[in-house]
Amino acid sequence: MYKLLLCWKYLRTRYLAMVCIVSVMLGVATLIVVNSVMGGFSTKLKERLHGLLSDVVLESYDYDGFTDAPSKMALIRNDPLLSNEVEAMTATLEIFAMLQFTFREVPFTRPVRIIGIEPESRKAVGGFAEHLVNPRNHDKPSFNLDESARERYVIRRASRGVDFPGPREAPNLNEPPPPDPPPSKPHEPQGVIVGYAIAHYRDRNAPADLPNKDVRTLEPGDEVVITTVSGAKLSPVFDRFVVADYFKSEMSEYDSNYVFMPIDHLQKLRTMEDRVTSIQIKLKDYDKAPKVVARLKELFANAPLEVQTWEQKQGAVLAAIRVEKGILNILLFLIIAVAGFGILAIFSMIVVEKTRDIGILKALGASNGGILTIFIGYGLLLGLVGAGLGTMIGLEITVHINDIEKFIASVTGQDIFPRDVYYFDKIPTDINLFSVLVVNLGSVGIAVLFSILPALRASMLHPVRALRYE
Amino acid sequence: MDENRFMFASNLQKTYRKNAISTPVLKGVDMEVAEGEFLSVVGASGSGKSTLMHLLGSLDKPDVGEIHYRGRRIDNLSAEKRDYLRNHDFGFIFQFYHLLPELSALENVMIPLMIRSSAFSWLGNGSKARKRAVTLMEKVGLGHRMNHLPKELSGGEMQRTAIARALIGNPALLFADEPTGNLDEDTGREIVELLRELNEIDNVTIIMVTHNLEIARGTHRIIKLVAGHVEAPAEQQPEIFGLVRPDGIENNPGVQNPPDDTRRQAGL
Repeated sequence: MYKLLLCWKYLRTRYLAMVCIVSVMLGVATLIVVNSVMGGFSTKLKERLHGLLSDVVLESYDYDGFTDAPSKMALIRNDPLLSNEVEAMTATLEIFAMLQFTFREVPFTRPVRIIGIEPESRKAVGGFAEHLVNPRNHDKPSFNLDESARERYVIRRASRGVDFPGPREAPNLNEPPPPDPPPSKPHEPQGVIVGYAIAHYRDRNAPADLPNKDVRTLEPGDEVVITTVSGAKLSPVFDRFVVADYFKSEMSEYDSNYVFMPIDHLQKLRTMEDRVTSIQIKLKDYDKAPKVVARLKELFANAPLEVQTWEQKQGAVLAAIRVEKGILNILLFLIIAVAGFGILAIFSMIVVEKTRDIGILKALGASNGGILTIFIGYGLLLGLVGAGLGTMIGLEITVHINDIEKFIASVTGQDIFPRDVYYFDKIPTDINLFSVLVVNLGSVGIAVLFSILPALRASMLHPVRALRYE
Repeated sequence: MDENRFMFASNLQKTYRKNAISTPVLKGVDMEVAEGEFLSVVGASGSGKSTLMHLLGSLDKPDVGEIHYRGRRIDNLSAEKRDYLRNHDFGFIFQFYHLLPELSALENVMIPLMIRSSAFSWLGNGSKARKRAVTLMEKVGLGHRMNHLPKELSGGEMQRTAIARALIGNPALLFADEPTGNLDEDTGREIVELLRELNEIDNVTIIMVTHNLEIARGTHRIIKLVAGHVEAPAEQQPEIFGLVRPDGIENNPGVQNPPDDTRRQAGL
């Protein structure tokens, strides 16, 4: 009983102990905030990395792709195991390309990735239709121009005349000229959906209070020329297209690279009818992915196809996030270890200060174990109080992090969280109860661990020497 | 025969060592305490009287020699048994009171009982212990200062608190190490008076270490330690139980010339 009483009294009367509490508190609060923000970022990032990719991707090794996608999809659909797991499938054709357009009479060229899709089934797989800017396309994605786009197209075309500046001359004149493009409808080019970042740039000189600093370089209805390679010989092919909509996933890698067009049109352009480069599969339950991947590998063992989950495909980035988080956690736990050394030092001082009291308690019959318990209990109490306060503060900061950021930015004039870098409109946070628990247990554990040594010293004190101590 | 003796020690030797320097403090002390006795141990500073008390009170272990208490050898007991003995059978009073500064006087008094009981059993018997502590505080005349911290008490009050703390465990043997050493004369006399009352009324055996012969004279028997030896071995002392304080002490404070044979034989 005296142990509890003394722990409690020491906690309330030793101001040095407050220092221990504050150091544990700050460590815990920092860990919780950083973990929550990192967790928020990685969750958001994962969402976006997943974004365009379906749960499982069946992919050819090169740009030539593979033939007969429908029969492969039928094979999957008829497989007893897979048919229960697969929710939706779609075939896509992906190829690099160059996109050209004029903005304020200046020609621009951008390297892009063209993705040929079949809109309806692509929507079913997910991660596509919801990112289209034109709300009309959310329910029923299509490559057709809406009214205003068509109007703009007609006006622009009329004012510019028929001729559109084509691709510049190839620098090497000795090479044979590129073959003629496949015939396309002369007056109504195919609509394409371009990535938002291809069609916009951020005006860094814009006034700070302007909510949207994006300058639009391509409007729906504007014409673009896309040049890519065709067939096995990789000879250049190009065609005119008209922008129908934007794709805005807020994942800059996608938004600045991807251009979507109907898969059959891309197949014709590249003269590779019936060939696709991947089949995207959406699962009913992503937890079953390893089983599905194994079965698909078995099913297509002889085909030159790679089967991967989206996580395996994004493995490098995901691993980087994991490593980053792990290292950060180790570093931050060092903060708490520093707090631990503080506890060690302060406890050693307290033990010295309390030497006589320890002698008294021993003279009155307290055992070594009892003295040990007092000081370890004291450390535990400091850890608990510190961790408890730290958790409260940490959670509070995490919840209000955006207000705090705004406040600090307004005081210092420094943009702490540049939104255009991350494409997030606010700092994402994700409070993970498990990690809060681990942080708490860890810091309390460290507090106890570092109080063991002084506690042992206290318990080993010889009563007579302790009593004589002045 | 040993079983009937309350406490005796034979050939106690203790040497303090610090690095290469060793200081022999007790060089073979034989002594005995009878139940109900009020014994004082006197001697100059460094004569080993505090060390003797620490050994008898099982706060320390002798290098050589044995201590027997109620028919049991206690100097070689395990730490747990010695802790138990100190908590249940012995009470300690110190020169510097040694109260715990964070606790109120009443809590200080209750500490020995708290040490005895776990937090859980304290729930059951805590109120009983508190009642007993209050009774004892009143007995030592501190009924009105129970919730004061030690630093708010005077020296005499602190020593009274310490006496109440020593008594709360119902000890058979009370060790008092210079209980008046830090107090003025009057207060010191009051404290000794209190101890004597405890001895006479409650039959608590008391071993008091002091270098104040005047105070020692008020006790049943005096052992004088000189350079680690008992000057007159305990066996040779006459039976002096029931000794009453002789008159004329105030008139004859000189200790070099004790007034009667008893005192001379007692080692003074």
